[in-house]
Amino acid sequence: MQVLEKLLDRIIQRVNINLRELGFDVTPYVRELIQRRQMFKFYAFYGITPHHPLNFEFTHSNLAGSYFLGRCRVRNSLLYKSDIRGDELKKKGTVLRFQDFEIPIARDEQIDIEDSFLIKTLVHNYSHDPETPEKFFIKDTISMHYANIHGSPSYGCFLGPFSTVDLTTMRDCVIGTFCYIQAGEISHIKIDPGTIWVRSPGNFNFLYRYEKNQLDHYIDFTEGNRPKGLLFDFVEGHKKDFARIFALVNIETPRSVPGSASLDRYAVIKPHTNISENVLVAQRAFLKNAWLGKGANAQENCYIINSRLEGYNVTAHGGKIIEADLGKKVFVGFNSFLRGSPDARLTIGKESIVMPHTIIDISDPLTIPPAHIIWGLITNKKDLETNSMPISEFSKIETKCSMGNMIFEGSGASFVSAFRNRIDHILEANGAFFNGAENKGHAQKNQSISFNTIQPYPMGELKGLYPSIIIQP
Amino acid sequence: MNKFIVKDLMVPLSEYATVQEGSTLFEAVLALEKAQEEFDYEHTPYHHRAILILNKDKRVIGKLSQLGVLRAILPKNELTQQIEDISRFGFSTSLINSLREKYRLEEGILDDIYKKATRMKVEDYMQTPSEGEYVDEMTSIDTAMYQIVIGTHLSLIVTRGDKIVGLLRMSDVFAAVFHAMKSGELTE
Repeated sequence: MQVLEKLLDRIIQRVNINLRELGFDVTPYVRELIQRRQMFKFYAFYGITPHHPLNFEFTHSNLAGSYFLGRCRVRNSLLYKSDIRGDELKKKGTVLRFQDFEIPIARDEQIDIEDSFLIKTLVHNYSHDPETPEKFFIKDTISMHYANIHGSPSYGCFLGPFSTVDLTTMRDCVIGTFCYIQAGEISHIKIDPGTIWVRSPGNFNFLYRYEKNQLDHYIDFTEGNRPKGLLFDFVEGHKKDFARIFALVNIETPRSVPGSASLDRYAVIKPHTNISENVLVAQRAFLKNAWLGKGANAQENCYIINSRLEGYNVTAHGGKIIEADLGKKVFVGFNSFLRGSPDARLTIGKESIVMPHTIIDISDPLTIPPAHIIWGLITNKKDLETNSMPISEFSKIETKCSMGNMIFEGSGASFVSAFRNRIDHILEANGAFFNGAENKGHAQKNQSISFNTIQPYPMGELKGLYPSIIIQP
Repeated sequence: MNKFIVKDLMVPLSEYATVQEGSTLFEAVLALEKAQEEFDYEHTPYHHRAILILNKDKRVIGKLSQLGVLRAILPKNELTQQIEDISRFGFSTSLINSLREKYRLEEGILDDIYKKATRMKVEDYMQTPSEGEYVDEMTSIDTAMYQIVIGTHLSLIVTRGDKIVGLLRMSDVFAAVFHAMKSGELTE
């Protein structure tokens, strides 16, 4: 146990040194957050597939309940129930295009985690930083529950619970609770909780900020306390269902899953769930009475309950959909929380874009027409007026627009186009367009995967630490 | 030009606008006005643009520039803070100005300005000089010029041993450079 304490102290100190300029001390937030006994209670596991380069290196770390896929190196770190998913890393021989540069990839990209503490965090995608194309690094970084580090190398940062940093290199930053940041590159900045910021310099800049008192009801994180609020309670309330899945060695795939779909063995599937062709259900996803049409997906930490998704729906990491009907090709961004009820269903028309970190929480039925873009907090029809717009109207913005707590500057058409291109890319990467022979994606490739488990020292001086392990083909 | 030293161009402390610690913003502005009226403009056309703040031992503890005065009187509330925060996110000046126009308080900045200025204490708004803002009176102007340019200072506090004896203003250094240029032109 002592070795884990020392490791935690070392990580805290390293992060604090990086954040000293911002006057931010991580100690009260993380020191007692995870009971140490939890850190040797759970096994870690890794996936082996013929489709992804295999190379795992684990040194002087605790990996409790964490999952690894692809090329990953972890040193002097604590990873608690985190997913390090390296199935989109760049392959040797490919080319990274950035502005006018074409950067050849000389070796398979690797996720490199050092001196960091990640709690229930998802690491996915690939390094979008042209300065470090073959190494997706996470160094001197602490991230809290259900954070997403998505294609975002990080150095000296703190990420609050349910925050997402997407396609952005970050250095010496504090990312507040429930923030979504996609800005290319940020440094030495402290971002308040509930900030949704999507910026492409020279093209567009979108900013939405939750009111603190409203956000606190859903998620609130203060010094010395565990995260609290409806979002956290909702996720923690389903822990037992996952405990059963993780306790079993072999789980049979339900017969009703088509051959072109992928249902991860670490996903929870409750009765009355329909999985159509080319559907991808990732680990730690939760489906209950859910209808997933052709090409739909549910990524890590997604919850789809009493809901129907017509097809080609992207539900990004951490998206939650409850008592809702979504038309074809509706995109639901990271960590969004869409909650209707049996008497007040939520309906979202086809080809709509629900921005990352949107909260729709209604007590009366609500219908959002097709092809709308939706953001922020919506609890009724009135909120919808200031937090949504037909995509065709949004595309007409040429200079600036301000509605409620949202400010937009730049080209609306460029913003919509960036989202649409990305949605198409995600569907393609997930195998939604597989025709039986071509366009294979994660849904098809992830079927042939096997899992191995690894365990820490059960007692003694190194109790809780995983032995140094190198796993190669 | 290269024969000049700092004390040749400095404004002596006695001629500069000064107020005691504890004075109000209004008293500081009056002191500046008085110093400007009394200043001998024979050798330089430039007005004083700052007020020095002295402690009870007559030592300089801070400097309040015209920019500092303007900054002090800007309204500070939750709304203005929000707009300042937004400006950190890479929006254009034009957009930030449009937000200021949209959300500015019904009362303008200049409403009640006298009352505001009589409540504000100079030490709350003064700038404490950094180590790079002091220069010895015997330093050459060439070297002092480096200090002004590299530190982007509008003036340097001139010292003699432990004592503060004056202020070297960027405007006076500029005037000296300008005269040197003109002399060069005439010689050629």
